[in-house]
Amino acid sequence: MHAHNKGSRDRYHDSNLYKVLLIGNPNVGKSALFGLLTGKYVTVSNYPGTTVEVTYGNAILNKIKTLVIDTPGVNSLIPMSEDEKVTRDMLLSDRAGIVVQVADTKNLRRGLLITLQLAEMEVPFVLDLNMDDEAKSRGIVIDQEKLSAFIGIDVVKTVAIHKSGIDKLLKGIQRPRLSSLSVRYDDAIEEGAKKISVLLPEANISHRSLALMILAGDESLKSWLHANVQDDVIENIENIRQSVQSKFNNSLGYLINNKRLKTADEILVQVMTRHEGGRQSTVSSYLGFWSMHPVYGLPILLAVLYLVYQFVGVLGAGTSVNFLEKTVFGEYLNPWSAKIIDFILPVPFFHELLVGEYGLITMALTYAIAIVLPIVGFFFIAFGILEDSGYLPRLAVMVNKVFKVIGLNGKAVLPMVLGLGCDTMATLTTRILETRKERILVTLLLALGVPCSAQLGVILGLISGLSGLATVIWLAVVLLVMLLVGYIASKIIPGEPSDFILELPPIRMPQMTNIVIKTLARVEWYMKEAVPLFVLGTLILFIGHKVGLLEYIQKLVDPIVVGFLGLPSKAAEAFVIGFLRRDYGAAGLFVMAKQGLLDPTQIEVSLVVITLFVPCIANFFVMVKERGMTIALYMTAFIFPFAFVVGGALNWILRTMKVAL
Amino acid sequence: MQERHINNGSGIEGQSGHPALCVLPEIEKEDEILETMWTLKEDCKLTLQQLLKTCAIPGCEDVINELAEKGWIEAKDESVEFLTRGEKRARELVRRHRLSLRLFYDLFALDGAEAEACKFEHILSPEVTDSVCTLLGHPPNSPDGKPIPRGECCTIFRHEMKPLVVPLADLSPGENAKIVFITPESHSRLDRLSAMGLVPGSMVKLHQKRPSYVIQLGETMIAVDKNITKEIFVKKM
Repeated sequence: MHAHNKGSRDRYHDSNLYKVLLIGNPNVGKSALFGLLTGKYVTVSNYPGTTVEVTYGNAILNKIKTLVIDTPGVNSLIPMSEDEKVTRDMLLSDRAGIVVQVADTKNLRRGLLITLQLAEMEVPFVLDLNMDDEAKSRGIVIDQEKLSAFIGIDVVKTVAIHKSGIDKLLKGIQRPRLSSLSVRYDDAIEEGAKKISVLLPEANISHRSLALMILAGDESLKSWLHANVQDDVIENIENIRQSVQSKFNNSLGYLINNKRLKTADEILVQVMTRHEGGRQSTVSSYLGFWSMHPVYGLPILLAVLYLVYQFVGVLGAGTSVNFLEKTVFGEYLNPWSAKIIDFILPVPFFHELLVGEYGLITMALTYAIAIVLPIVGFFFIAFGILEDSGYLPRLAVMVNKVFKVIGLNGKAVLPMVLGLGCDTMATLTTRILETRKERILVTLLLALGVPCSAQLGVILGLISGLSGLATVIWLAVVLLVMLLVGYIASKIIPGEPSDFILELPPIRMPQMTNIVIKTLARVEWYMKEAVPLFVLGTLILFIGHKVGLLEYIQKLVDPIVVGFLGLPSKAAEAFVIGFLRRDYGAAGLFVMAKQGLLDPTQIEVSLVVITLFVPCIANFFVMVKERGMTIALYMTAFIFPFAFVVGGALNWILRTMKVAL
Repeated sequence: MQERHINNGSGIEGQSGHPALCVLPEIEKEDEILETMWTLKEDCKLTLQQLLKTCAIPGCEDVINELAEKGWIEAKDESVEFLTRGEKRARELVRRHRLSLRLFYDLFALDGAEAEACKFEHILSPEVTDSVCTLLGHPPNSPDGKPIPRGECCTIFRHEMKPLVVPLADLSPGENAKIVFITPESHSRLDRLSAMGLVPGSMVKLHQKRPSYVIQLGETMIAVDKNITKEIFVKKM
């Protein structure tokens, strides 16, 4: 993480640019505010942990060129997961910025916990009470002036998604102040903090705050300490910490947090008023309740899945793909391109390269734009609605028990479901998980069995042509394999599972503008990332075909593809390009099925293989970045043969039992 | 004479170290020595020298000798040890003291809990002690975090009297409660819960139990494992 941030830090540290750092609890609207200030879109969703990396954006604020920095949400500036560490390290390393603490007005108590820590750090800052509308509708009113007087800094109210209050925030940014708040802890803790303070090196935040972090047992500070002070000093510090801890039975971290919360409560009593009757039961609160109800929760889950299937599988992968592939590309674009190319460049080689069997237009662009694009487009819309509604964390409540079996907890559902959007992004999101073991497990399961949107869409499109039984078998095989592998891996990988403690955001009506912007941003990202790889894959096939390598590979793997999996020889092509992107491989199967080259059993088997197939190149790189080369290689080396074994077994079972699909 | 303090500001967490003294009549000096011995023993610091140092009642040495003569304890050279019946008496004393402390802190939120507990530890009968223990939901720790010696009532769980303080897991969905104490399995769990705002004194509402426990804390909904809700003890409101 350090190495990763270093580049950006150096880049921004020396410049005399004004900096604004957005900090706050998870899911309070930091990213929404970032978008408003910079005009640059970062994903905004309704669940904690959407942002796992620091994002930079330029803006002209108050006529001054400013660098705005969005950070992952934190519940405490003593980090408990990797994404929280990123934020604390920003404060530790990046001085001379103006800190804007974004707080959820209706959850001010938890916001104040951060306020107190920023005050302790002696960082000048401004407090932004966001989501003021939601607080009002719940009958909660915060006396802004009084709060400002208590903390000694500017307090402003905003509703970021409605762009209200931004002018006041901009005014506040011009005069950040040091907070006058100070918490006095137990004498022994204060004394220990004093002793540690004098041993600490020069830092961007106050020595007292650092000393308190150390006392609270902040493991993540160790690397910073090692880089800045001598080993004997570190030992000395650790001795002080232990001698203070030995005076208490409860952990120092808890005692410190507890004292801060008490202080927060004292402030709240003074500044918060709550009107009775403000809490009406709204439709959304009922929906939130039902969606995790022990009885209604499951039908709601099934209904959600069915709607997504109808929207993405039938409308997206069926109707839209048919129209684009058959009509737009099949009847117009491809024949026209062929004619134009033959007219301009009447050379057979170019004909084949561009519009031949492995042509860049007839294959790469047709696959990318006619087959995959409409599918991912529809999927991103459906997924965006789900994300913004707040349903995903409730899904975690539904599946917590199942996830326990595979050494995870419900929280892991977030990266797993995000994997349905894109496994690459989802692998980054594993940072919200608390233990290394969980992060490795989820990375493995994502790489193994979670099909990304593009692949899922193609699969849904293909499978919708078969019977319902085929869908059930495909789903059952993939889920069983994930459960089995997860269960075994959780026994092998050392480490402890962590507690399931997950914040559930309120159910909200998704905002159409955010859905549209988010979908467009994702489609743009898809085009940038996938299309070049599609072109590359097609080129590889084209060259392989030209020099006879493709036929050679097909012959080489015939015993597996034809003998073991019972697929036609040509299916090997799909697997070859599947190495680049699984969805591209799936698209190849899609075309083969449409040409009538695959019978239902073959479709089923090939779909299972391509679902479990090796992660795409982008995903592989992120696995290397997040988990290290060794683990990434081990995982890939396991997944590749394993996918074929499962496919072969399924083929054998389906054929032996003569299952009609 | 110094008053015993749980020195903190918030009232729940506490300082370890040794119990200073309660204000006591003559007859209770013995009890005080036994209690001090128990506390020292918990910290593995029980020596005669340490006992004399910690003990702040006048005529400490005489009382120790008296206890030894009566066969409660054994004092030789540098060492001092409980005899069986002395240990039993000390355990009961400490149990009464720490239970009283819980009672005053958690239920009555009294400021002078320590002084009151000092009086109570000498007068509670075994029956009343067990009732208090049951009432409080058989708490494993006193407010300063020290273990409360278990009594018979904790092992043979009594149903005659409904405890006032129960694990959060035992609430029915929809019930409101105030967190009285938390006895977490690990320090890191306590740190995490407190970062979310779950600390003694916080008001919570149990939203649902299945498929996972969901609790509401202010305007925050938090889903947690069942075993965590078993460690959060609450008083129904």
